[in-house]
Amino acid sequence: MSVHIVMDRSGDTRHEFDTGNPKALRQAEERFRELTGKGFRAVALGKDGGPGKLVEKFDPHVEQTLFIPQLQGG
Amino acid sequence: MERMAEILRALFRRALREHGRDAGALTDIIILRAGDRFGPRLGAVFSNGYRAWAALHPTELRTYCEQHLITDVETLRGQLLREGQQSYARMLEAHVAEIAFREQWALVTGRMQRVRNEPPPSRLDRFARLMGFGRRSTLDIDDSKAAKRGIKLLEENLSPTQRQQYAKHRHFDVIGGKTGKRYRIHHGSSMNIDQLDKNGRRVCGWCFFPRGGLVAGDAMLAQKFALELFEIEALQVANRLYRY
Repeated sequence: MSVHIVMDRSGDTRHEFDTGNPKALRQAEERFRELTGKGFRAVALGKDGGPGKLVEKFDPHVEQTLFIPQLQGG
Repeated sequence: MERMAEILRALFRRALREHGRDAGALTDIIILRAGDRFGPRLGAVFSNGYRAWAALHPTELRTYCEQHLITDVETLRGQLLREGQQSYARMLEAHVAEIAFREQWALVTGRMQRVRNEPPPSRLDRFARLMGFGRRSTLDIDDSKAAKRGIKLLEENLSPTQRQQYAKHRHFDVIGGKTGKRYRIHHGSSMNIDQLDKNGRRVCGWCFFPRGGLVAGDAMLAQKFALELFEIEALQVANRLYRY
């Protein structure tokens, strides 16, 4: 199982998907494209606070992907 | 006289920068005579054990002593301690007030941002408010739950050192992935990033945060990853706030 964690006003919303299920994979890829298309940054989370890694393309093998909304200056 | 006050104020500023709200009280002043390697030095001792030192020029010391008719080191120490305690008390008060203001400001801007991004109320909501129901919006009700989720997500993704630092001081340090510069992210969602120099002193502040009126935990995590993974782009959208 992998999970997409999308930051939002509720804290975050988690979308779990089974990497062995082609339909779930398609949906996950679509979600990835939609969010990154809106300006979200995808970060593959490391284990136990280990360094994250930017993900440019959908990778079903990444266990936890965090989606960060576009940044703005304050 | 002005020069000595200036030196003391510089020592106090350093103590306040290092310890923020937890800065201790000024307990003593130490005057060290010139040694083989160093000239005379002035030290300030604080109740939390912190000591700050500054070099003194003999002529500054002489001028001060002449102005105050001081002839021995013990009297000089007493005089500087009295003056220092008054000056430090004023600085500490202003410093604590500034921290409180910054925290309050971050809270206000975070809330304003969330309200701006809130969809307009539906007809049913407007009717419910008109009838006196729903005085608290769903945003308020979910606020604490969302905030807790945000903090949990943040803590899960901090390194052990950062987690420890955040638990103790409500801030954590991040090394810029591109430049290697050190940043300190304070608890909050905006105006909460300091850039530090190699001695840990603040160079300037930066303000950037994710769109969408996110809770503090999410904002801090986004800031951490931004600085670690796409530092230059993050700083390009950020506002540089102030210099010290």
